[in-house]
Amino acid sequence: MAMSKVSNGGSIIIFSIIIAILLVLVPLPEELRFARPEWVVMTLIYWSMALPRRVGVGFAWVTGLLMDIILGGILGVYAFVYALVVYLIARFHLQLRQYPLWQQALTIMSLVLLVHVLTVVLSPKSAGWQLWLPAVTSTIMWPFVYAILRKCRRTFHVS
Amino acid sequence: MNYFVPVRSVLSAVVYPVQALASMPSDVGDWFSKFFQDHKKLTTKITALEANDLLNSFRLQKLQALERENMRLRKLLGSSFRIQERVLVAEMLTIDLDPSSQQVVIDKGAQSGLFSGQPVLDATGVMGQVIEVGPFSSRILLLTDPSHAIPVQINRNGLRAVAIGRGLGKKLQLDHLPHNADVRKGDLLVTSGLGGMFPVGYPVGTIDVISNIQGKIFAEIRVKPAAQLETSREVLLVLPTVKVVVPDSEPSLAEDEQ
Repeated sequence: MAMSKVSNGGSIIIFSIIIAILLVLVPLPEELRFARPEWVVMTLIYWSMALPRRVGVGFAWVTGLLMDIILGGILGVYAFVYALVVYLIARFHLQLRQYPLWQQALTIMSLVLLVHVLTVVLSPKSAGWQLWLPAVTSTIMWPFVYAILRKCRRTFHVS
Repeated sequence: MNYFVPVRSVLSAVVYPVQALASMPSDVGDWFSKFFQDHKKLTTKITALEANDLLNSFRLQKLQALERENMRLRKLLGSSFRIQERVLVAEMLTIDLDPSSQQVVIDKGAQSGLFSGQPVLDATGVMGQVIEVGPFSSRILLLTDPSHAIPVQINRNGLRAVAIGRGLGKKLQLDHLPHNADVRKGDLLVTSGLGGMFPVGYPVGTIDVISNIQGKIFAEIRVKPAAQLETSREVLLVLPTVKVVVPDSEPSLAEDEQ
């Protein structure tokens, strides 16, 4: 019984990651392309905050490697950055869970900024100030992502 | 340096289903808009296409005559060969990648014989080149990417230069041409074939702005790309060129009329 529950939960986590990747790839109008929220980072953060034993650094590393292939960057940049973010979350998940939602959103902003600083340092980019827009949009979207994923976790008893 | 090419190739086959899935909504939208086109629209479209076809075949007749003349002249110069170029059609996946680098994914890969460095064209000009090949999909770097440069020459006088990308929606830049270079607004740039990547003579763009800023060593020249980078869905991939050497003794006309 316990085993079947565990495997069920795993498929939900992977399914949510795939949905997040699809949201990253879906075409947007030209003006909004730079403002796309970091769906995959947010999903990883939620799961590693809620279930740090199941979604750890290794899971984030594999997801990041797949993102490197999908987005066609330098192999390993996203893998490293995602692993680092999930490490930070795993380190501080007990504090983060106590924060009110807006404070969590600010944490998300700093983490997405960290992701962007590192990807800019590690791979050549040619964008101006728009590069920092995802940090803002991710902060705005965080309460919704949090609510939806918590609903998923409770409905499907992912633990 | 290239140890990870096979790794990338295998992993790109793993992620291809996700990319294809992300591309599906707009594909389905396209299909619906095609399915529900009304009769009148289709009739006008077919009429326009037929007229265009007539015009193209008229131009082709002329081209054949010109090609034959070119062969004869080449023969006089002693360097008579003909380059045969074949193309393969592929379709882009409608997915967004990293907005700060100009790459697109197409639905053909190593199984269709694509290779890294292959030139990519659309109906109106050069689009870019293949940079990564997976089994079922491959990745194209567009002309406008800041890391892309293409050797070109001005069609009017044969002046050679290199056109460098500056980002999507921005024009290309011709580097290292002095202020007194013979460049005029509206000049057509074609591929020069130097570097061995791109075949000779495909349109790259037209000169759009020339500004001679005092105090700078080189002129600032902007080029408008000929390819419709933002709207094309179908791309043409140029297969490796075959050099056919025409033997001296054989009459060239008979050779051409096969």
